[in-house]
Amino acid sequence: MNHKLVLDHVSKVFGDGDSQIKVLNEVSLQINAGEFVAVVGPSGSGKSTFLSIAGALLSPSSGRIILDDIEINQLSGKKLNQIRLNKIGFVFQSSNLIPYLTVRDQLLLISELAGSRHKKAEQRADDLLERLGLSHRKNNYPESLSGGERQRVAIARACMNDPEIILADEPTASLDSERGRSVVQMLADEVKLREKAAIMVTHDKRMLDLCDRVVYIEDGRLTEVPKN
Amino acid sequence: MFLALREFKHAKLRYFLVGLIMVLIAFLVLFVSGLAKGLSSDNASAIQKMNADYFVIQKEADNRLNRSLLSEDKLRDIEKFAASQSTAPLGIQMTTFTKKGSSKQIDATFFAANVNGVLAPDVVEGRMINNHTTNEVVADHSLKEDGLKLGGHIKDQFSGKTFKIVGFTKGESFSHAPVIHMNFKEWAAVHNLPADKQMLFNVAALKTSKDKAQLIEKKVPGVAVIDKSQALKGIPGYQEEQGSLMMMIAFLFVIAAFVLAVFFYVMTIQKINQFGVLKAIGAKTGYLARHIISQVLLITVISLVISIALTYGVAFVLPNSMPFDLTPPLVLGCSGMFLVVSVIGSLLSLYRVAKIDAIEAIGRAA
Ligand SMILES: Nc1ncnc2c1ncn2[C@@H]1O[C@H](COP(=O)(O)OP(=O)(O)OP(=O)(O)O)[C@@H](O)[C@H]1O
Ligand SMILES: [Mg+2]
Repeated sequence: MNHKLVLDHVSKVFGDGDSQIKVLNEVSLQINAGEFVAVVGPSGSGKSTFLSIAGALLSPSSGRIILDDIEINQLSGKKLNQIRLNKIGFVFQSSNLIPYLTVRDQLLLISELAGSRHKKAEQRADDLLERLGLSHRKNNYPESLSGGERQRVAIARACMNDPEIILADEPTASLDSERGRSVVQMLADEVKLREKAAIMVTHDKRMLDLCDRVVYIEDGRLTEVPKN
Repeated sequence: MFLALREFKHAKLRYFLVGLIMVLIAFLVLFVSGLAKGLSSDNASAIQKMNADYFVIQKEADNRLNRSLLSEDKLRDIEKFAASQSTAPLGIQMTTFTKKGSSKQIDATFFAANVNGVLAPDVVEGRMINNHTTNEVVADHSLKEDGLKLGGHIKDQFSGKTFKIVGFTKGESFSHAPVIHMNFKEWAAVHNLPADKQMLFNVAALKTSKDKAQLIEKKVPGVAVIDKSQALKGIPGYQEEQGSLMMMIAFLFVIAAFVLAVFFYVMTIQKINQFGVLKAIGAKTGYLARHIISQVLLITVISLVISIALTYGVAFVLPNSMPFDLTPPLVLGCSGMFLVVSVIGSLLSLYRVAKIDAIEAIGRAA
């Protein structure tokens, strides 16, 4: 099997009793290694919810999620933590960097959390920063970076643990389209280079041509948009 | 530590300020503790240092050594249960005297004891008296500040007796008054006891086991047996003095706990989103808890080191007459307490962090 991520009839219901809303209704999706999938849909349609479930941040009401051949929907919170640390990279909407860490330390934190801080980690961090064009910003704090630079740091951080899959929730929302495009381009390059998978939630139609597949969420349903 | 140190470096001012508060509180704790200890020995060092475990005291005396009165017959009764070497009668008399050739009145406490027995004080200057002298005493060397000298004479105000000072002891005081040691011959003279009548004293000091002490209390009528700390509390003013200082210290510890608790709680609330991100990228609650605790401990330890240095510095410039006694065990005890209190102060933040959900990191539609 070379499916990196499989979502099998996943549903998510928020609230209980009368105020129940079914945000996801039996959605299924398979993503292969090397695939970059975009998720689009109107506001409030459940894109972030979908991504959170795929990223083991939120547990589904029903259905199965298989990440790198591990069924994660029945793991304990502690195990999920481990999964997130080792197999998933996140890029959040706005700068979710730690304000008191320098760019380089943002990356080293990941290996610190994994308990594997050594020369190799430092080498890897330097390589990633080099590739994302951030070498000269290594010792800066997030507050002195531009929005685009911050998102690139976030991408570098997401790659630091060599994850199986990268999940990005509107990574370009705070960027102008040109910068946004270059950030997405970098994300796409990372995926191709390392045979990983990635899911990106976006509102920006102009980014879609950089992705391999586009899925559309509305009313809890997920449909694949054929690429022309 | 990875996060803790980097956060300190980034937000120096914030942590410096809370550290400063901790330094001040710790300094106050140490200073008041030193003062309490100093006052306690200034008040009652003669009892604290005494080579005895228990005191036999008159039942009605309400634990006050100087109120009790025991006769020679009682002593015989007591000695039936405890060997006579381990039973030492003690006379205590608060008094006022004048130095010969001066009319200035000076407070002191007379201690009468067998000067060959366990209650004999250590003489640091001059010589010890023996059990036969009738006009020689040894005095606490703090009386030198009142102009007393070896070979000088003092006159007791109540009995009118005159004594010659032949030696000085060190650190002997009772109820904030320096102790003057004498033998029972002189004691009888001070109290005008006729030679044929029974000897009277206040208490009998015991150096014996707990069982023996309880036995004496049970078997000898009209007496109570109290231990040293009860005897200390019975010294006029001792308990009130120590009690109010202890209350200050206790409050300072509570304040320290609250300062840390509030500071770190506010910091934690501010950083909820950040902690959410950390959890989302795989930080365990345990890791974040260690992060907070190591910050709290670092601040506390650094503050403690500074305040200990500060306290010793201040103690160094204090005048000698100031009763201040900061021993290493006391410093260690206070520091240990401080560390415990600071960890307690961080519990609220730990609880909050444990409750943070990784999902907070992702932008929600709401
Ligand atoms: N914890 C929650 N409890 C209750 N309802 C929730 C919760 N989280 C999300 N929802 C609801 O689920 C629906 C989908 O939310 P979601 O954040 O996934 O939307 P989205 O597609 O990401 O929207 P946007 O494009 O605006 O970010 C919304 O109606 C939202 O109100
Ligand atoms: Mg969203």
